[in-house]
Amino acid sequence: MSLLYPLLLSSALFGIGLYGVLARRNAVLMLLGVELMLNAVNLNLVAFDAWFADQLHTGQVLTLFTIAVAAAEIGLGLAIVLALFRAVRTVDVDEVGR
Amino acid sequence: MNLRNRPRGPWVYVAVTAVLAAVVAAWAVPELREHGWLVFGQSSSGPGAPLPSLSPDLFLFPQAAQIILLAVGIGVLVQIYSTAYLGHHPRYRSYALIIVLFLVAMIAVVGTTNLWVLLVGWEVMGVCSYLLIGHEWQTAEARSGAAKAFLVTRVADLGLVMAIIVIGATYGTYDINGAQAGALQDPKNGTLIGLLVLLAVVGKSAQFPLHSWLPDAMPGPTPITALIHAATMVAAGVYLAARLFPLYADSEVVLTSMAVIAAITMLMGALFALAQTDLKRALAWSTVSQLALMFAAVSVGLAESGLDHLVAHGVFKALLFLGCGCLMHAVGSSSLSAMGGLRRAMPVTFWTMTIGFAALAGVVPTVGFFTKDSVLAAIDFATEVENGPLPNGMAWVLLVVALLTTFVTAAYATRLWLLAFFGPVREARDAHEAPRTMTGPLIVLAVATFALSIGKHLDARIGVISTIVAALGIGAVVALWRRGSALGPAPAPLVSELGLDRPFSRWIPAVVTSLSRLVVDLDRDAVDVYPRGGASLVGLASNGLQMAQSRNVQRYATAIALGVVVLVVIGVVAT
Repeated sequence: MSLLYPLLLSSALFGIGLYGVLARRNAVLMLLGVELMLNAVNLNLVAFDAWFADQLHTGQVLTLFTIAVAAAEIGLGLAIVLALFRAVRTVDVDEVGR
Repeated sequence: MNLRNRPRGPWVYVAVTAVLAAVVAAWAVPELREHGWLVFGQSSSGPGAPLPSLSPDLFLFPQAAQIILLAVGIGVLVQIYSTAYLGHHPRYRSYALIIVLFLVAMIAVVGTTNLWVLLVGWEVMGVCSYLLIGHEWQTAEARSGAAKAFLVTRVADLGLVMAIIVIGATYGTYDINGAQAGALQDPKNGTLIGLLVLLAVVGKSAQFPLHSWLPDAMPGPTPITALIHAATMVAAGVYLAARLFPLYADSEVVLTSMAVIAAITMLMGALFALAQTDLKRALAWSTVSQLALMFAAVSVGLAESGLDHLVAHGVFKALLFLGCGCLMHAVGSSSLSAMGGLRRAMPVTFWTMTIGFAALAGVVPTVGFFTKDSVLAAIDFATEVENGPLPNGMAWVLLVVALLTTFVTAAYATRLWLLAFFGPVREARDAHEAPRTMTGPLIVLAVATFALSIGKHLDARIGVISTIVAALGIGAVVALWRRGSALGPAPAPLVSELGLDRPFSRWIPAVVTSLSRLVVDLDRDAVDVYPRGGASLVGLASNGLQMAQSRNVQRYATAIALGVVVLVVIGVVAT
């Protein structure tokens, strides 16, 4: 299988995630954008791992590691959003910044 | 006795001064016996010694020893007097200590052979006189008088600094004796040195045209006036002129200018003293006039008799000023219109001041008569001597002016005496004699006024002439007084002191003020443009940058993302 397809997919995922982070005003959706970017990176790692046929599967190991970190990160992020919502009754970042 | 009621504090300072006086006397009196006038080569550093020699060599000759003894003696008397006069003043401590510093500075000036040490003493005296004249700094006159004294003498100090540098460059030493030894062999730069020294002493000793600070220093406490006029500040100028005389003795220009200045000042000061309505100010003008007489003696080449007159004048002028302080103590003012008829109420002050005025007028047998006689004899000698340093014509002018001054001096001394002690009792009906701590110094000085005249040389011809002239002056005033004239308002130009103070009180401040305005304007409109321009540029830039700081995290993230894209594009294009 060509390396091109997974890379295209991961670029698309990354672009959508970036757009979500930059354009969305809802804090939860911004976090989701961050998740999309992380998973684009994971896809890259797995694709390159397969492409290089690495004996140690460094890419896959690193992907597992990233998933674990991402889970922790999203948990922390959602906790912050929850606290924010409790404090100001909104999750709109423009409203909060004001 | 008054002393018991008084706190012990003030006497500490009297004791300090007395110890200083005793030390100085122990050192000066033997020197008085040993050395003659201007002994050369006693000091270790002759011509060619390494240049900045700051050795505190001390060296005395008789007149210098006399001046030092005079300074510390009057210093002790002034301290004793001040315990009663100012003992309860809240700033008495600093006052008394500055007097001690003043005396030490004077001793440094008179005792040293090193020009730089002399300069230090000279400047310290300037500061001390500033501080003491401005002792009552809550009054505006005291502040302005002090500032004026300081600034005018400062201008003159420039002359001394430059003179020292020129002397060092000319003779290769900063030692006075060394320079004098060099000048004896081969006098050089006499005119330049002489003119610079002249500038220094004219300012310090309040001679025309830098004379006006001395009468304006009258807001200072009266004992200080006595100290400045008699023993320290102004005496230093005459002393320096006499001490450095060998360095410019060959310069006709310097001696003629000095003679001209002396002639103008002596007559002017005497006439102004005649016109004053204030006793203290009249005495100040009298000091200006008497100092000019000493400079006249220096200019005809007999510095010795000038210094003799300095010592004599110091004694009787201190007596007069301290007596004036007693009168002010009794009357509450130094204005002559407040005095009158005080001879019964204040017998001690009356008799001692009578002796002082007699010495000022030059009445036999006070010391003032003998020393004035020797100055006049010196001038008279200069009118006849051939190839003297001073042109004979100038000496004649000086002699005539000096005799005129003798006449006017006798007249104003008599006038002041009559106005203060005779006539109807005016404001001071309850006037009483000053305490003994104040009259005691007066008695000591009155005795000294006679004692110092023992053994003085007398030129009989000049003595007779000056006695006649002085008698005419006294007689004229007494005659006017008898005829019932109140010796009142003098001609207006004399009262206003010919407007000679105007350059100092109006023009120079006006010029300085406008100059400083110009400087301020230049600073604000020309120099400040650059820093202010820089500041506004930075301000503009920060305004621009502020727009980027939107407090919107997503915009920052957008900028980061765009930046990454740009970097990648650049990277791709570059490879």
